[in-house]
Amino acid sequence: MDTPANTVAYMIAGYAVIFGVMLIYIVSLVVRHRNLRQEEQLLEELQKEEKKAGKP
Amino acid sequence: MRGFLRALGAVVWKDLAAELRSRELLSSMLVFALLVIFIFNFALELDAVARANVTSGVLWVTFVFAGTLGLNRSLAVEKDRGCLDGLLLAPVDRTAIYFGKAIANLVFMLVVAAIVLPVYSILYNVNLFAQGGLLWVIFLGAEGYTAVGTLLAAMAVQARTRDILLPILLFPVVIPVLVAAVKASSGYLQRLPMEEILPWLQLLLAYDVIFTSIAFMVFESVVEE
Amino acid sequence: MKSQPRLLIGLDVVTVLVMAVATYMVFGYAPIERVMGAVQKVFYFHVAAGWVGMLGFLAAVVAGVAYLVSRKPVWDLVGLGAIEIGLTFMLINIITGSIWARPIWNTWWTWDPRLTTATIMELLYAAYLMLRQGIEDPERRARFGAVYAIIGFISVPLTFFSIRIYRTIHPVVIGGGDPTVSGSFSMTPAMGATFAVSLVAFSFLFASLLWHRIRLGQLGARVEQMKLKLTE
Repeated sequence: MDTPANTVAYMIAGYAVIFGVMLIYIVSLVVRHRNLRQEEQLLEELQKEEKKAGKP
Repeated sequence: MRGFLRALGAVVWKDLAAELRSRELLSSMLVFALLVIFIFNFALELDAVARANVTSGVLWVTFVFAGTLGLNRSLAVEKDRGCLDGLLLAPVDRTAIYFGKAIANLVFMLVVAAIVLPVYSILYNVNLFAQGGLLWVIFLGAEGYTAVGTLLAAMAVQARTRDILLPILLFPVVIPVLVAAVKASSGYLQRLPMEEILPWLQLLLAYDVIFTSIAFMVFESVVEE
Repeated sequence: MKSQPRLLIGLDVVTVLVMAVATYMVFGYAPIERVMGAVQKVFYFHVAAGWVGMLGFLAAVVAGVAYLVSRKPVWDLVGLGAIEIGLTFMLINIITGSIWARPIWNTWWTWDPRLTTATIMELLYAAYLMLRQGIEDPERRARFGAVYAIIGFISVPLTFFSIRIYRTIHPVVIGGGDPTVSGSFSMTPAMGATFAVSLVAFSFLFASLLWHRIRLGQLGARVEQMKLKLTE
């Protein structure tokens, strides 16, 4: 009986890459989303102020 | 149909006549092509043995680089002088403009090839014209290259980063043409049996047909304004 | 618009569950391959990532055609999102392919048609992002993106064939170069089941990521519009 080659290190490296890259992508989505949300809120406030200033 | 052909002829003729007068495009393509060959000569130590294997590669890299130069210039001129807008305002079929530009670019590339081939033959004492098939391969390869190149150059010149953009857009798309053209050319140069060259010729033909028709279909959405 | 639709939340939950099942099956259920050992387990997610990459690039072509026909900006967001996800997963595919090649063929890189084509695709779609970066007008950016996505995708099978013909004429000496030659293995039923579940899990992952990416794009477009209104 042949014993299988010991390639556990490569398997771990492979799955580290798989989950690592996926995680980086998801984090980038979350970060971009959060930045846009902040910007949106800021712009909304600016819009409100402009309306107030424009009324009188 | 007749109107289409007349418009097509007018665009081709406009490009060729302008080039005959200024000669700036062809002269820069030619000088560039010859420089590339000289650089290869020293970079690769093109002695008789090495040459047999790499001639077709050197030739095609030369054509492709010179071609990029020409394509960029040919469309950039239209954009900068506002000629593109003028052309688009003219009551002609947009696809006539595309085919006109593509044919003109093809002619420029073939002129460069027509000068590079004899020069190469003299420099290295080989007769590249001994195999008629090579000329066909150059025609087919240049056709596929300019069909895609004209379309992508029309996009690249409208972008902010246009000078660096064209090769980046073009090279990954033309890899099949390049591989097929290099292998078919070297097949002819090494006088390989036809059945080893045939798959490459088929690939070249398929590429030309597919990409000419696709480019022709999408060109309208590249130039509309 | 502000809060996530129910369906999306449901999709996320299902995705996390199937991904967990697939991960469990890879490590706990699938047997260790007799010749190659543990590294063979990379195969399941390696192929599944490549599958998501292809799905992304295919979706981008569909979105590109749809944009050119309908001119609805949402199709541009779909196309961009699909390509971004395709690039991410194709990168996973290439790197894990390389990690697989090292112990099996004793080299980090083989000029195998699939691996080479995947890498050329990666470059192709990186060029797509560069093209978009160079254009300010959103309408023109969407048009050019759609055209390039179509042109690029059509060249992919031709690239694959050109490399494959090249290979058959010049066979590689080291390790065969083709996974079907050396490094091939016959799948046991347990392996087949794990593989199938991995594919399903990654398909769900793709759908869920794409949906989130489209919503991100819509938010970005909204913010852009508010900015324009304020500067007026």
